[in-house]
Amino acid sequence: MDQAVLARVPEVFARRVGPALGLADEADVVARACHAMATRFHGGGRLIVFGNGEAATDAQHISVEFVHPVIVGKRALPSFSLTSDVATITGVAATAGLEEVFAHQLRRLAAPRDIALGISPDGGCVNVLRGLETAHRLGLLTLALTGGDDGGPIGRSPAVDHVLIARSADPRVVKEVHVTTYHILWELVHVFFEQPGVLDPRVIP
Amino acid sequence: MSDIEALYPFLYSGSTDLDAVMTSVRQSTVEKVDEIVTLRRTVLERDGERIAACAEAMAEAFAAGARLFAFGNGGSSTDAQDVATLFMNPGHMNGGAAHPLPAFALTADIAVVTALANDIGFEVVFARQLAASAFAGDIALGLSTSGNSRNLIAAFEEAERRGMLTVGLAGYGGGQMAELGTIDHLFVVPAASVHRIQEAQTTVYHALWELTQQALTRMEAGDGDDGA
Repeated sequence: MDQAVLARVPEVFARRVGPALGLADEADVVARACHAMATRFHGGGRLIVFGNGEAATDAQHISVEFVHPVIVGKRALPSFSLTSDVATITGVAATAGLEEVFAHQLRRLAAPRDIALGISPDGGCVNVLRGLETAHRLGLLTLALTGGDDGGPIGRSPAVDHVLIARSADPRVVKEVHVTTYHILWELVHVFFEQPGVLDPRVIP
Repeated sequence: MSDIEALYPFLYSGSTDLDAVMTSVRQSTVEKVDEIVTLRRTVLERDGERIAACAEAMAEAFAAGARLFAFGNGGSSTDAQDVATLFMNPGHMNGGAAHPLPAFALTADIAVVTALANDIGFEVVFARQLAASAFAGDIALGLSTSGNSRNLIAAFEEAERRGMLTVGLAGYGGGQMAELGTIDHLFVVPAASVHRIQEAQTTVYHALWELTQQALTRMEAGDGDDGA
């Protein structure tokens, strides 16, 4: 066996620990995001998810998580990923440009009571930012999963209501924190559903 | 009580309950973070050396011209697609350009998947694609949390018939993927939560990718084999 490859393994795993623990420091942001999402679902909203490259697979993972819960007895919640429609994405990209794809889809598919969740590992994806800005203008609740030091332009955008930042420069580590984050988002949205009294719009600060 | 609460008590009629739920929800996040950090440590201790060996075998296969076929159902299908795009379009690693490598996700072509499912059955959707497209020496990488998905078992059986290098990621006790006994590199994440299993599996395939990249770089430089 190549001893240099073997020697690298502990470092690869060690690189994950700090960013994973960092999510615990965001527990309050997670809780507020879940409450806001549960309130939107309670009001008939749908969850619309989007991202590029590897984050496109996260978008699809999130939508299947909500539509088909892994825990028996949890209700299915309406969600879809914008990245599954390759025909529309390549069509809009070829005419208006890749920067416009998610904004275009949201303008046609979203309702004001819906939820927009954009994923961008470095917070710099222009089409994700434009999608979130469009969603915000339409009245949707907006959330972003980003990474890096400060979440990048998406993390700083006033159009995003809830930002969760995975603090790592390694996009693979960022993705892993995102996976844990959205699994927790799904589970805790259902905790709020089990307490319908807290979903009354009047109690939202 | 704040001035606003005094003026508009109806606004805060449920606030005590909400505070209690928010507190329990925050605690739940902290507990889940602890679970995944502990689980990754377990995976490293159990399988760290085997992950390195698998990455070396994958690097040797790629160097010999292999293509990677990734497959899974549901959330694991998104992991399969993630594996495929990570190998195909990896961007940078440690400041340098990573090797783009040929990879396909067997769930990406919805025409083929629905045709096979409709005409024959869902259990053949991956096996038939491997039968049509894969060669001896190619890599089959399947992900399942239960280890029991019938279409994955059929795919691994087909992959073995074709002489592919087989890599499996499973959870719980490994299920039927472990019982097969034919998967060259099987990584079982020992957890009871589908979510934590998937999170640890993501780390495993990220580690496999990074170590494959490192092994390929060292093979190109001529210092990949220490003879150990």
